[in-house]
Parts: sequence; C-alpha cells; structure tokens
Amino acid sequence: MTFSVKDYVDYCVSAAALIAENKDYITELDAVTGDGDHWANMNMGFQQIVDSRQELENISYADLFKKIGMMMMKGIGGSSGVLYGSAYLSASKIMEDVDNLDINRLSQVITAMLEGICKRGNSGPGMKTMIDTLDAAASELKAALTEGVDERKALERMEQGAKRGMESTARMEAVRGRACYQADKGVGHLDPGAVTMYYQLKTLSDCMQKNAGTEKQME
Amino acid sequence: MASDTAKNLRKECAARSRRTIRLNSLGAGVSAPKRGMKKIINQPEHVVSEMLQGIAKAYPALIYTPGVEVISRRNQGDQVGLVSGGGSGHEPAHAGYVGAGMLSAAVSGNVFASPSPDRVLEGIHLANTGKGVLLIIKNYSGDIMNFTMAQELAEMENIPVRAVVVRDDVAVPDSTFSTGRRGIAGTVFVHKCAGAKAAEGGSLDEVARVAQKAADNVRSMGFAMTPCILPGVGKPGFVLAEDEVEIGMGIHGEPGVERTAMRPSQEIARILVDKILADYDFTGGETALMINGLGGTPLMELYILENDVQDYLKEKGIKVYSTFVGNFMTSLEMAGSSVSLLKLDDELKLLLDAPCDTPALKR
Repeated sequence: MTFSVKDYVDYCVSAAALIAENKDYITELDAVTGDGDHWANMNMGFQQIVDSRQELENISYADLFKKIGMMMMKGIGGSSGVLYGSAYLSASKIMEDVDNLDINRLSQVITAMLEGICKRGNSGPGMKTMIDTLDAAASELKAALTEGVDERKALERMEQGAKRGMESTARMEAVRGRACYQADKGVGHLDPGAVTMYYQLKTLSDCMQKNAGTEKQME
Repeated sequence: MASDTAKNLRKECAARSRRTIRLNSLGAGVSAPKRGMKKIINQPEHVVSEMLQGIAKAYPALIYTPGVEVISRRNQGDQVGLVSGGGSGHEPAHAGYVGAGMLSAAVSGNVFASPSPDRVLEGIHLANTGKGVLLIIKNYSGDIMNFTMAQELAEMENIPVRAVVVRDDVAVPDSTFSTGRRGIAGTVFVHKCAGAKAAEGGSLDEVARVAQKAADNVRSMGFAMTPCILPGVGKPGFVLAEDEVEIGMGIHGEPGVERTAMRPSQEIARILVDKILADYDFTGGETALMINGLGGTPLMELYILENDVQDYLKEKGIKVYSTFVGNFMTSLEMAGSSVSLLKLDDELKLLLDAPCDTPALKR
C-alpha cells in the first residue's frame, strides 16, 4: 500500500471536516465535564493545517509530522496542544528518510504517538482521556498485523479498536483535568478528547483503506 | 449652614460619580474591572504583557519580547544560559531574577497558567550563547509538560539543554496542580546558586550539577491567611474564615495540610519549621534561611516571623549562615508566608555569596 505525504495531508483535511461538522456534539460533551473549549481548540488546530496544505504537501514525512506537531501545539494550545505536538514529534523521529506510510509503519507511528502522549502527560490508559482511544487502536492494529490479516481488514480493526476505546471512557472516572474535580468524576459521559481522537483514527482508517483497495485492484 | 455643607458635599460626590461614569464610557472597548475588584489594571487580558513592559522600562538592562512574554538580559555574557518561568502572579518570580549572576531569561504564562512550549523555546533562544541552556522548572504538571516539550524542540535544533526540577514544598506529597511535591520559594535559591556558577564560567554540566544540589537540599513550608483574586476571575478561589489559616497551602491556593485557628507568630514558626525538619535533617553544618511573603503580608510581620524562626532554629541547634526576608515568590495579594531552608556546603556558600544584580535580588 502506498500512502504518500500528499495522501496524509488529504487525510488531515478530511479529519478537519469531520471535527468541524461535530461542533455542537463535542461542545455539548465538553460542557458536561470540561471547560467547553475543546472543540474550538481542536478545530483551530486542524484548520491551520488545512490553511497550510499546499506548503505541507511537498515536504518529507519527517518534516510534515514536525510541522503538524508545531501547528497543533500552537493552534490547539493548552495541554491538548502540547500532547498532540508531542505525539507528532515522536512520530516524526521514526519517519526519518521514509517517504511512504505502509501499514507496518502506521503501526509504529501510532505506537510512537501513544508513547509520546503518555510520556508528556505522565498518563496512561484508564484515565478517561484520548489515550484510551489511541491505546485501543494501537493494540488492535498490532494484533491484526500479528495475525496476518489483509491491510483493509487491519485498518478496519484499528477503527473498531479506537471506537471501543472511546466508548470505554464513558465508564471511567477522570484522573486528569477538570472532570476529576466533579463529584461523579464524569462517569456516564464520554470524554470529548477521546471522541475527537476517534474522529481522526476513523478518518485515517477510511483514507488508507481507499489506497489499500486501489493497490489490490492493481494486483 | 452645616446642612448646606452636607448638601454641597453630596452634590459634589454625585457630580464626581457622574464624571467617573463618563470617563469609563469614554474608553470604548475597554472592559471595566469587575465589580468589587480593586486592582490597578486596565484589562484583565493584558495584565501580564503590561507588567512585563513595566519591568523592561524600569530596568534598562532587561529586554521584553512581546508575544512570547519573555524578559531577558540585554547582555547575555559568555556563559551557560539559565531559563526559568511559569505562571504569572508570583512576582517578583521569575522576571525579577533576570540579570547578571542569576537568570538569563524568564518566561511568563498567564496568571497561574504555565507558558506554552513556543514561549519557552523563545526563552531558550534568547538565553543561548552557544554554551547550552539549563531550565529550572517548578514541579507542576503544566510547567513540566511545556518546559520539557520546549527542551525537546531546542534539542531538535541542536541546542544542548538540561533541566532541573524543584520540588521543595514539604506540605503535601501530591497536589491538584502537580505530580509529586510542588516547587515554591526555595526555587529562588536554585536560581541564585546556578546563576553564580554560570556567571563564573561553569559548563552546562557543572551548572546543572549545582542547580540539582541546591534543589536536593532545599525544603519549604508555607501557610495562608487570606485568598487571592485572579484578575480574570474577579473573586477569591477559596474562602478562609476570619480567624482561620491554612497550613501548607500552595502558591495557587491548592489545598494544604490542615485549617486551624490563627496562632501567635511563635507557634506558626514552630509548626512550619517542625514540618521541614521532619522531612530533612538540617542539624550540623550551616543553612540559608528564607522568610517569603505571599504578597499581602507586611514586612513587619515577616520580620516578626523571622525572629521567631531564628530563635527556634537556634534552639534546635541549626546554624543560619545567611537570611533572606521579603516577597520572593508571591501569590498575588494572598496574605501568608513560607519558610525555606537550604543546607549549605562550602561550594553552595560561595555561590550564594557571589555577586548578582537583578531587580529583586542584589548581592
């Protein structure tokens, strides 16, 4: 499967659109457990990538991830910005001299992002955050690849894992952020950060499946 | 006659308040300070940048970089750079410690909010003379996250960066804002020792070693008597009863160890010192003592507390080599104080005595 820098930028544009569409839903979720600004922050970060898409399409993968990291850090701002920035900086380090994101490399990228976020945030799965989505996606993809399923199936499983991880946050008590000061610690509500992370992984899975499909037809 | 005067006075007052209203309405686009909040500010959103502009105007040896909210030395010398910072509202920390013999640059976030990594990175750029940069970080999760991210970004630009984390507050093992112990007023001792080492030409490794040594050997304990009001919020973040104090409260109003009735200075001195001594053995050798005001406590009271702390330390057989009394790391207008003790060896003694020239500390 080939997934070029341009394909990745196209994926970011699609993810930006999905996030933009869900303004009311995310803001509503965040109003229950957080500051109410998560959607606005995520949207601003992704719109910056959309605005710079032409500049981003013609650079290396390592530079692309570095640039996206910086844009997210400044555009999203706050803790989420730093955590997304850390995710992409970690990912850029394993993309040195690589010009294609195949499925095995994707698994490494997702794992590197997960490690980057956990290390920076001094957190892990089970704390009702975006990590729960990313962690479930990473392990599901890894398991699928170990089982040797085809690329399209592996990407589907990554998306299903992400969804399961996102849904699991509804049952969790918050340990980080504003929700942990509330009496119910946010139990019963999805974490908005876990939802926007799911939007990204779902879009990435969809975009990459299209390319996996083309390749198969060509064979 | 008397009633006439009263009438005139009332008229005058009414006219004045009308003028005040007109004056306010003149400044279109200027949001008036929140009702009931008496603060010398223009707009809550501008407090940090306007304060830093003021600092730069008062001290020509310092430069203010707008946007990233950094105060740095005009002349960085030929030395390892020293960068610290954190949320605003703790003045003179940290911009007040920028100058010869202490920090190279201080990065300010909004009030009680950590500065973002791009700001810290700019601080690193301004401080870097090619010999590397040491970051002195107070142990709050936001500061750790933003400063270590900036460190990583600087390292990607091949700038050698080291970081030392200060966690001197013995009050609580963990708090709402931190992972592990908080960094408070003892940080100023770390600035002083590391700054002196850098000024005498120490390498990045040497400066980091000295900073770590100071951080390892300093302990602090504080208490609060009144809350503080954030300019953007307009009301206190917590309430203390008229006759109540909170032992161990953090410099952002984070919960401490216990709330208790107001006590005489001698008793407060014992409570704070006992808590410090329970954590670290300061007997034998010499110490530096800091009595820090949280912003709303008069110097008179700080000296009274200092007098009692000195007496109690003497009773405990602890020798004070050098004493610092004043507002070193505040919490806006919070009333209260903290006591810090730094265990000294010959090296730290020399570094503590070395000259420095900053707005808030001169030796």
